[in-house]
Amino acid sequence: MISFDSVSFAYDGHPVLSEVNVEIFPGELIGIMGPNGGGKTTLLKLLMGFLLPREGSIKVFGAPPEKARLSIGYVPQVHRTDRDFPITVLELVLLGSLSKTSFFGSYPASVKEKALDLIEKLGLSEHKNKMFGSLSGGLAQRALLARALLSDPDILLLDEPTANIDPPSSLLIFDLLEEMKGKKTILIVTHDLRTIVERVTRVLCVQGQVTSFLPGHICEHFALGLYHTPLLDLPKNHLKKSPDDLFCIR
Amino acid sequence: MIFSAFVENPFLQTALWASLLAALASGVVGSFVVVKRIAFIAGSIAHSVLGGMGFCLWLQRTYGILWLDPMIGAFAGSILSALLIGWIHLNYRQREDAVIAAVWSTGMAIGVIFLSLTPGTNVELMNFLFGNILWVTTRDLILLASLDVFLILATLLYYRKFLALCFDEEQALLQGVAVKRLYLFLLSLTAVSVVLLIQIIGTILVIALLTIPATLASLFTHRLHIMMGTAIALAALLSLLGLSAAYTLNWPPGATIALLAALAYLTALAIKKRFFKKRVALPINIED
Repeated sequence: MISFDSVSFAYDGHPVLSEVNVEIFPGELIGIMGPNGGGKTTLLKLLMGFLLPREGSIKVFGAPPEKARLSIGYVPQVHRTDRDFPITVLELVLLGSLSKTSFFGSYPASVKEKALDLIEKLGLSEHKNKMFGSLSGGLAQRALLARALLSDPDILLLDEPTANIDPPSSLLIFDLLEEMKGKKTILIVTHDLRTIVERVTRVLCVQGQVTSFLPGHICEHFALGLYHTPLLDLPKNHLKKSPDDLFCIR
Repeated sequence: MIFSAFVENPFLQTALWASLLAALASGVVGSFVVVKRIAFIAGSIAHSVLGGMGFCLWLQRTYGILWLDPMIGAFAGSILSALLIGWIHLNYRQREDAVIAAVWSTGMAIGVIFLSLTPGTNVELMNFLFGNILWVTTRDLILLASLDVFLILATLLYYRKFLALCFDEEQALLQGVAVKRLYLFLLSLTAVSVVLLIQIIGTILVIALLTIPATLASLFTHRLHIMMGTAIALAALLSLLGLSAAYTLNWPPGATIALLAALAYLTALAIKKRFFKKRVALPINIED
């Protein structure tokens, strides 16, 4: 289980998240939404222990995030990776099990086999020896997903995995996530409303604070034309649902 | 004529060995410097070395501490500045470039001041700044070879971790790599390489030998270890050709090697543009 207990975070004195109280249960597939600069990526980085909260505490399976990193797989936004870096797709995927290398830095045969299986499953077999930077956005995203899955993590974090990628790649990624639903805890940052409505079990709206919604309620919120209205500034009954239905954790 | 000069002239032979040994450091560490995009940091370390060299030379000449060779100062200065810059990078990212530039100039300033206070002729200053491969002694060759062995062993042992560190620090952290320590270690290896290369090409031009062969190699390969091998071969070839040209034209060897490397890079760029396909570009995404 993941828990954020009164967590606040600021970059150089500029508050990004304040008083975040969230609990995430094993097997949940959670969509994270919110405006740019709202703190979505910061939330993921806090969860991985890359950033430390200014106040409050975070626990991942009862331990601080930095002690639970090996149980986390992370798929960054593809445009944030170095596309000029001399690395093949296979080498990149293998980095997902770097912790399993021997003293001399070689991977066990089982890890190599699993990497090749994942590469095949994600339709990358013919690209495995190509330079990662030469792949299209969709293929590159699949390679990053394969890397995150190689160590079979309990928690999978995806930062806008379908942004600027082709529909077949997007579909393939979500079909794979669907397979893992209930088996892994998955948090996915996305602006794609359709993904939210059709795929996730719960939505976290991140905008300085974090509020939890059921996917249908988010859809209704957008249907009301409130896209530019800060979610947290709205009265809690703006969806004309009972407060219990809102599943608000804040 | 050049060939016979290399066979007959012991100074040129020593210079040749020094070039080949320095090429190893240039290819291996230069590749990390290029892919990690820390050329500016490497430049800063290279210039800070002058502080340590100047200080040791001043102590040696003023107080007669003969064992305090300027090379000891170079190593101390380079490691110290590498660790300082690494600490700045890890803890002070917002103004990182400006602070590193300050370390760069401070190191040089200390060096210039101590060299100006040092009694006697200051031929060393020119050697430190612009290099003098003919200045290399047999003892220096042994030092170069020992440090090459250390660099290669460290790279073999930590290759995959360095690969992860250079490509994606966050992924390396998730996989339990001690990223901060490894980063400081990489900078220390860079510092050691800088000292090796300074003997060939000097403080001011060392960045050319540390970055151009590796950048050139990166144009034609998509695997880091192949890039390293190619960069070693290119650095050796460029040093050899530069040395020959310098001998024939009576030009300074360091500057000739740097100029030749730059010309080779421009030629390679033109060849790549003419004969190789351009890679797929990704659309720009909006940052969160």
